[in-house]
Amino acid sequence: MTQRLPGVVGLLLMLMAGLVEQAAADEACAIDDAEQEICLTVPAERIVALSPGATELLFAAGAGEQVVAVVDHSDYPPEASELPLVGSHDRLDLERLVALQPDLVIGWVTGNPAGQMERLERLGIPVFRIEPRTFEGIATALERLALLAGREAQGRLAAERFRQGLAELAARYADAPPVPVFYQVWDSPLMTVNDEHLIGKVVTLCGGVNVFGGLARLVPRIDEEALLVADPEVILAGGRGEANRRWLEDWQRFPELTAVARDNLFFIPPSLLQRPTPRLLEGSRRLCDRLEVARGRR
Amino acid sequence: MSRLETHGLVIDVPGRSGGDPLDLALLPGQVWGVLGPNGAGKTTLLHTLAGLRPSRAGRVEVDGVPLTRLRRRRVAQCLGLVFQEHHDGFPATVEETALIGRHPWLSPWQMETAEDLALAHCALARLDLAELGGRQVATLSGGERQRLAIATLLAQEPGVWLADEPTNHLDLHHQVAVMRLLDEQAAGGRAVMMCLHDLNLAARWCDHLLLLYPSGEACWGPTDRMLVPAALERLYGQRLASAEVEGSRVFVAVP
Amino acid sequence: MAGASLRVCAHGHPTLGQLALTLGLLAAAALAALIVAVALGSAAVPLTDSLAVLVGGGDDMSRTLILELRLPRALAAFATGGLLAVAGALMQVLLRNPLADPYVLGLSGGAAVGALLAMLAGLGSALVSGSAFVGALTATLLVFGLAHGTGSWTPSRLLLTGVVVASGWGAVITLILSLSPARQLPGMLYWLMGDLAHARGPGVALGLLVLVCLLVVPLGRSLNVLARGGLQAAALGVPVRRLEWLVYLLASLMTAVAVTTAGSIGFVGLVVPHLLRLVLGNDQRLILPACALAGGTLLVLADTLARTVIAPEQLPVGVITALLGVPVFLFLLHRSR
Repeated sequence: MTQRLPGVVGLLLMLMAGLVEQAAADEACAIDDAEQEICLTVPAERIVALSPGATELLFAAGAGEQVVAVVDHSDYPPEASELPLVGSHDRLDLERLVALQPDLVIGWVTGNPAGQMERLERLGIPVFRIEPRTFEGIATALERLALLAGREAQGRLAAERFRQGLAELAARYADAPPVPVFYQVWDSPLMTVNDEHLIGKVVTLCGGVNVFGGLARLVPRIDEEALLVADPEVILAGGRGEANRRWLEDWQRFPELTAVARDNLFFIPPSLLQRPTPRLLEGSRRLCDRLEVARGRR
Repeated sequence: MSRLETHGLVIDVPGRSGGDPLDLALLPGQVWGVLGPNGAGKTTLLHTLAGLRPSRAGRVEVDGVPLTRLRRRRVAQCLGLVFQEHHDGFPATVEETALIGRHPWLSPWQMETAEDLALAHCALARLDLAELGGRQVATLSGGERQRLAIATLLAQEPGVWLADEPTNHLDLHHQVAVMRLLDEQAAGGRAVMMCLHDLNLAARWCDHLLLLYPSGEACWGPTDRMLVPAALERLYGQRLASAEVEGSRVFVAVP
Repeated sequence: MAGASLRVCAHGHPTLGQLALTLGLLAAAALAALIVAVALGSAAVPLTDSLAVLVGGGDDMSRTLILELRLPRALAAFATGGLLAVAGALMQVLLRNPLADPYVLGLSGGAAVGALLAMLAGLGSALVSGSAFVGALTATLLVFGLAHGTGSWTPSRLLLTGVVVASGWGAVITLILSLSPARQLPGMLYWLMGDLAHARGPGVALGLLVLVCLLVVPLGRSLNVLARGGLQAAALGVPVRRLEWLVYLLASLMTAVAVTTAGSIGFVGLVVPHLLRLVLGNDQRLILPACALAGGTLLVLADTLARTVIAPEQLPVGVITALLGVPVFLFLLHRSR
């Protein structure tokens, strides 16, 4: 009996070691956009998304069913707007959030209050912060979120589709004649984007040249005079709402603008461009099309 | 030259129900003193006479015309007031302050003329303020401010002078100077009425007195008939002693 | 240089000559500021071209830049600054309180609530302006009605009512801001800070400014007397109640138009009247037109800087008015002691 003891102990030890190894193999780790590594031993089952963009990315990564709550203005995909709310992105209802017992929270690096995020982490809830600033950032966000939610295959597929779509656009417009473009984020105050902004990158992708691309700030406020001097060939605008062309009509006041003279005033629904999600591909396609139309009017 | 009359006037002292109706006639050349303890309504009376607050009953007439029927500017040409309190919200110089006395005489589009300026300077000089023309009012002493208020009234040149404790804050010399000034105004055909706390000034300078009791009772008449020690003691609720000094009656409160 | 000759006015009353000289100097300064505003911008237009445009020449681009962008904006800035400064001076006299400004009675709060609600509803800039104007008038009538409630209103009662109502508006503004979607916020904040970028058609504001200046000149001496207190003014023949109503309504209308034109630009209405009083004395006949000119000049310069300092990016003009005005004011205050 006693002789066999070491053998039993050895067996137990081996078993335990095996278990540990097994767990380590199952642990899913991903690095978020704030350079923090988050590891989950089991795929997240109850996810809260703290920005409309995060909601969209989760659904696109195939983790839509695991999302238990979202914030205000999470309107895509449509089923996301049915989900319970935990406040707005900049003013979270922590109590309700915690009561939902999430096992993963998808935060927004610059959009969510840092203090509330840290509070969540102190409560032991893993917070994965995302804020893609590049096309590749969007693709890997899909993959990383899918990994944490145990939907790796779907995530990889979505990411590949996105990369491929953009690569096609890039290939098609790589040698297209450049088009000076102004992208209008807002009308009052008049705001645009620089080249660092995702929208700026889409403009470049489509063979456009963002006339305010060189400004230092991501979303600079400019005056009309600067626009008149820059004289873009195309004016692209989002708008208040998804189908509001009023901002474009406003530019008709300046018939000497090339964009006005050639009627190159185009509306692109803001949600297709202004959120770092796979829908950006659709927005990019439309933007590229518009620039192509403008080239045709030369 | 204006005359100020009241007909059945009951002043509106808050918290007092009744009051004797006043039928006064303040005629050119007269100097009236209003005597009474604190809260008897002396200031209220002056303000009511100037049309600055409504009466409870009766009316005030200037030269036979009810005050309420006159425009404020016309009233200010006939009738001027020295207030007991002076407050200044904004900085102003002494000269500017005296000059606003000319306001009732200028039309909206007119600037002050050299003549107005001369009148203001004259008034300031008359009250020993000529040197202070450029000074800020806020830097004046209490007595200087009081004299400035009187100088402003002098520049206003109203027919009827209503002065609320004109000797407030004044040293003895200036008390006499101001009383002499008021007396001269009356001699020049103006009517003067002033509230006083100093019985001796009243006895020396006023030809008519109005005694106002806290209850609203009032009696009035020529000074010699009104300066009865018993009546005055009742007015103030204070024992008085009186004597004759250089031909005038002097009253002293005795404990 | 001008200071020495102007200082004379501070003592004694101004003569017509001094009045004309002072206002002439201020008008020249205003004109210079307008020329600078028209000549400077994020686009470089040679001064000769600018002048050519003003006399009817120049190429198309210069014409558009100057006649359609810079000139209307500069004139709107001038009118707004003038209206705010005059309204501030009037409010100070009305309330006998040197700390009063055009917004002290909650008028800008009402306008802001109107404007922000219109923005929240996604309405265009014309409707935002209209809504701001309605808000401003509502605020005016509300305060006036409440202060007047029992039949007598004293300046202190009016002030207290206004300050309380203003803080109520403040709470509503915060509420709207916290309920608004993030993308609306920059527009709202810029509106609250004051912004001339969308001030088109300065006609109404300029017209009102000129009208009020003509109207207050004959009222100037009465206002001087009113500044000494209501009773004193009444005793000197001023129809106090009527004048106070008129001043209140005028100041409110001016502020409403200013706020509608450019949002709530702070500082001009409070400090310009004080600044001028320190230099020119307190004769409203001089101060009010001087306020119109100096307030306008200040805002034109501030807006020019706001447009050009980090061009083509823009700064909120209210920041510049304060940065320009505070040191000048403190210097004058220090010197006057």
